[in-house]
Amino acid sequence: MSGRILTGYCLLVYAFLLAPIFVVVAASFNAGNFLTFPPQGLSLRWYVVFFENEVFMRAIRTSLWVAAVTMVISTAIGTAVAIFQVRYAGRAKEAVRVAMLAPLLLPEVLTAIALLFFFYAIGLGTRTMAGMIIGHVVITLPFVFMNVSAAMESFDPAYELAARSLGADRWTRFTRIMLPLIKPGVIGGALFAFIISFDTFTISFLLKGIGTSTLPIQLFDYLRTNFTPEAAAVSSVSIAMTVLAVLFIEKGLGLKVHRF
Amino acid sequence: MVARRPSLAPLLLALPAAIVLIVFLAIPYANIVMMSVRSPGNGTPYGPGFSLAAYIKFFSDGFYLLQVANTLWIGALVTLCALVIGFPVAWQLGRGKTKLRGIYYAIVLAPLLVGIVIRSYGWTVLLGNNGVINRSLREWGLIESPLPLMYNGLGIVIALTHVLLPFMVLPIMGAIQGIDPSLENAARSLGAGRWTVLRRILLPLSMPGIQTGCILVFVLAISAYVTPALIGGLRVKTMAVTIVDALIDTFQWPFGSALALILSVIGALCVVAFARATRMRWKVAS
Amino acid sequence: MTQVSISHLTKSFGAAPVVDDLSLTIDHGEFVSLLGPSGCGKTTTLRMIAGFEIANSGTIAFDGVDVSPVPAEKRDIGMVFQNYALFPHMTVGQNLAFGLEMRKVAPAEIAQRTARVLDMVQLGGFAERYPAQLSGGQQQRVALARALVIEPRILLLDEPLANLDAKLREEMRGFIRDLQKRVGITTVYVTHDQAEALSMSDRVVVMFGGRIAQQGAPDAIYDRPASRQVAGFVGQVNILEGMVSGSDGGRAVVRLPQGEITVPAASVPAAGSKAAIAMRPEAVALGAAGEPGWAGTVVSRQYGGNLVDYKVELAGGSTVHVQCLSATPVAPGTAVTVRPDQSRLWLLGA
Repeated sequence: MSGRILTGYCLLVYAFLLAPIFVVVAASFNAGNFLTFPPQGLSLRWYVVFFENEVFMRAIRTSLWVAAVTMVISTAIGTAVAIFQVRYAGRAKEAVRVAMLAPLLLPEVLTAIALLFFFYAIGLGTRTMAGMIIGHVVITLPFVFMNVSAAMESFDPAYELAARSLGADRWTRFTRIMLPLIKPGVIGGALFAFIISFDTFTISFLLKGIGTSTLPIQLFDYLRTNFTPEAAAVSSVSIAMTVLAVLFIEKGLGLKVHRF
Repeated sequence: MVARRPSLAPLLLALPAAIVLIVFLAIPYANIVMMSVRSPGNGTPYGPGFSLAAYIKFFSDGFYLLQVANTLWIGALVTLCALVIGFPVAWQLGRGKTKLRGIYYAIVLAPLLVGIVIRSYGWTVLLGNNGVINRSLREWGLIESPLPLMYNGLGIVIALTHVLLPFMVLPIMGAIQGIDPSLENAARSLGAGRWTVLRRILLPLSMPGIQTGCILVFVLAISAYVTPALIGGLRVKTMAVTIVDALIDTFQWPFGSALALILSVIGALCVVAFARATRMRWKVAS
Repeated sequence: MTQVSISHLTKSFGAAPVVDDLSLTIDHGEFVSLLGPSGCGKTTTLRMIAGFEIANSGTIAFDGVDVSPVPAEKRDIGMVFQNYALFPHMTVGQNLAFGLEMRKVAPAEIAQRTARVLDMVQLGGFAERYPAQLSGGQQQRVALARALVIEPRILLLDEPLANLDAKLREEMRGFIRDLQKRVGITTVYVTHDQAEALSMSDRVVVMFGGRIAQQGAPDAIYDRPASRQVAGFVGQVNILEGMVSGSDGGRAVVRLPQGEITVPAASVPAAGSKAAIAMRPEAVALGAAGEPGWAGTVVSRQYGGNLVDYKVELAGGSTVHVQCLSATPVAPGTAVTVRPDQSRLWLLGA
């Protein structure tokens, strides 16, 4: 009996969690001029408007570009430090972990402000995208780190010793034993970095270069003055991209794991 | 015997991350403190000298103090709501034997994977005067004029609770999963009923998760920017919104820095007070 | 084939030495077991031979050449790990080929050698499987094959049977032993299981506290343990405390509460010094009350299939374990006599 009450309660919470996402997607198919729910007739007109809106399309391209660059840098740095933390940090292991998680624990708005002042002070300013990408690397690093260090924790050091006993040098052990075995963690971390970078707002908002709005910034600006369902179409496309990335994680990793 | 020295090469693995964290996190944070004591600028973000003008401005104006109180109040409400809503879900995910666990887990994680702008936007669609809720209630004849759900503290609390719920559920779920199931059976064998097992065994043992969840949600709630900015509009402002306005719109960097520091210090004090109040004398055996 | 000579090897983690001034020579083709309780330094010694740990002092030489500066990957050793450490992302064939690839062996030869060794461990046809698709015993044999296919100078085995069930463990003892004799490879085997060490080795090295307590052929270790510690670790032992009362040729006469008894002894201690008699439970016979021997009462009986263990309380106060073939059971409480086999006793110093 109490089990059924718990289940019912949880279902309500799940509905609460999905509600805003659901209404956004549903509203994007609205045929009317104004944002209403339930939609007044179904139509893809707002998607057409969106795809013809050069401002939004440029923002999407910027977002994808920034997310890709962030992902590459963050994955390389985060993977290296995760290997260091699990394998070589010794007594400093916990300290390294806390330091690596710091960007996650510090308020994003404060980090963004700190970086804004810093870039201004060193003369980097906000004329290029470099500042924004550095900001994205800082906030995505913990996600790569967590994923890879979890993979490293379950990677038995005996595999490396076995490879050594068979004559494998450091580089061979890294490329042929360690990397294939922690690959799921690396891929998971990389895609996490991509998604976080693609979706993040505050840090991009404060650090964006001139004329380099990302999709969330463009959407935020738009929402402050407009209420057409075009924003819903933009949001739905953005959600779809994230879902695709997640499916890619699941599928990519699923295959690897099954082969073990 | 020639003792080979341990190689320094592994340190190279940590070097890039150390550079990023020191140069782009530690130094910039230290720099905020410096910025808050610069003199106000005139047409520039900050002036040439140093002064305490920003702090004097904050403490001499009741408006800002009230806003800090308001921000903390919203943070506390969001934390409480997230705990009440999140605990049963964490319980079900951590202990439930349902086949749908994978799907439920995905639902809890889903909001994290959807950008915060979009989620907040979703709440404006639901809560607005012409939003889904008000419209439905009017159509059903339950209300005459729209309920004020948006542009006020209530809307911010609802939306922030939604946005931050996963940060409450995940740590508690982790703690519940870490509880040895045989403890429950042991309690049962000693004569404890379901409710007693929950109250005397599982709740205390999941305290570390509850504590972590509460601190995470509170910190993220008082520093949240996007959700209060979109839901609160121009009428209700939290500290984070005022801080960003001071930096971006009115270009008062020293004042914005002072506000950010004050909020951080007060928030940290709240967290410390909370941690002391809920301190546990036992430790989770690892 | 390679001879391993270890001299004055010392290794400490922190303050306490784990291996303490250890010297040992392992001959060409010899099968040596390092036997001891956990923490005795046997695994650390093995890891130093492999090159995974660096000694604080002392040397390890293969055929007279000091290998201390040689890293593990250049030492040309074959090693079998306790958890096998088979690469989970490679097939059995790829696992075996790995070491050969490191040695730049031509692909055709790799295929041929891999197939031959897989046949040798009776796993021909398993090359395409992944380790997770094999049983524990099969994984164990793959680990052995992977270590042997590179034709190493030395084979090192670190508790390789610890994760197998009892029956398989016994089968594998013979299998490994036969394989080792066929290949003729110098082998160091680390175990805490005395039955493994006794049944497989040419020589058993018993270690305690980082030092060698005794080394010798399995029967020598079992029949004439050098100390109470060795006797207690290798098999069960009964110890009766007494006092030397005289000598009889090369034998000592020891007075026990139960009476006098003569024991073979290399050097007879002075009369009046304390001494103890040790005997294995199976070197003691049980007789009916009144027969010659020490009188006692059966306290408990533990049935073990082919063998039965009796605990007998002797008239003088001490207790002895007696192990005999299952026959007519003797119930606890029965008065009996206990008669040690005089040729299988030995003398322990005080």
